[in-house]
Amino acid sequence: MLENSLLFILGFFLIAGALVTIAAKEVAYNIAGFLISMIALAGLFGLLDNSFLFLAQIMISVGAVAVLATIVIMTLNLRFENQAYEPNRVRIIIGVLLLEIPIGLVIYKALAASGLVITPAAEGYGTLKSLGKTLFEEWLVPFELVSILLLAAMIAAIAIARREKYYDKEEYFDHYKPHAIETNRTEPDSEELQ
Amino acid sequence: MNSENFFILAIILFMIGLAGVSSRRNLFVIYLGIELMLSAVNLLLATISRATQQGSGSVIALLIFALIAAEAALFLAMLVQLYRSKRTLDSGRFTHLAQEEKYRDAA
Repeated sequence: MLENSLLFILGFFLIAGALVTIAAKEVAYNIAGFLISMIALAGLFGLLDNSFLFLAQIMISVGAVAVLATIVIMTLNLRFENQAYEPNRVRIIIGVLLLEIPIGLVIYKALAASGLVITPAAEGYGTLKSLGKTLFEEWLVPFELVSILLLAAMIAAIAIARREKYYDKEEYFDHYKPHAIETNRTEPDSEELQ
Repeated sequence: MNSENFFILAIILFMIGLAGVSSRRNLFVIYLGIELMLSAVNLLLATISRATQQGSGSVIALLIFALIAAEAALFLAMLVQLYRSKRTLDSGRFTHLAQEEKYRDAA
């Protein structure tokens, strides 16, 4: 009974946070919805007796991804005119969700046909010890490959984010003429500060 | 507590993420939609791992966490770079690989 009510509450926050994430207009509200959704998902991992995934979810999705996204958005100093103009976004989202219902039903039927039921957990399930044993005995090669992936992502992130000299030249903007540049030019930018 | 409830939650989360990716034009919301879809896959893996009482599903979910971290680093760096190049996050403005030269400025 307690588990069912917890599942209901966590599921409500998960879905509501996800809807806010994709439907809100301001980017700060998107991140706030994402944060709520991820915390609720961590609670669901805990409900599934999976304490290690609960910890990993809190540390990675909440502690790293959401915080990093907040920092990036704050650093970008987004203005209203620099964002996409989407007056009909809620209607489009509702339409796309209605279109996706048949796909979801098919996936649900396929999953429900597997006949998996949740029985009381075995001794030591979901603990760090058993997970580490599985990880380093059966999944050693994928684990090492993931470390190479993380290294490549780190190098690529540094390489992408540091190429600033080319894009900060004025000729680049004269060539492409994006629509939001005119509003930026009038503000006291780099010339007046120098 | 039934496994079908978790399946339904994971499917709804995946559907919402897919709707966010396919219907919004803000690049940041597209990124968050991808994160939601990956999280839905994680929830599904954790549910199957719990129902079969085996640790392999949890280990795959752990590997997907590493994937999420790598994707966050790359996508946010790309976001900074794209915003720096055109001063906008509208995905409709970044079409110069998809369209011909003469249509580029009209988009």
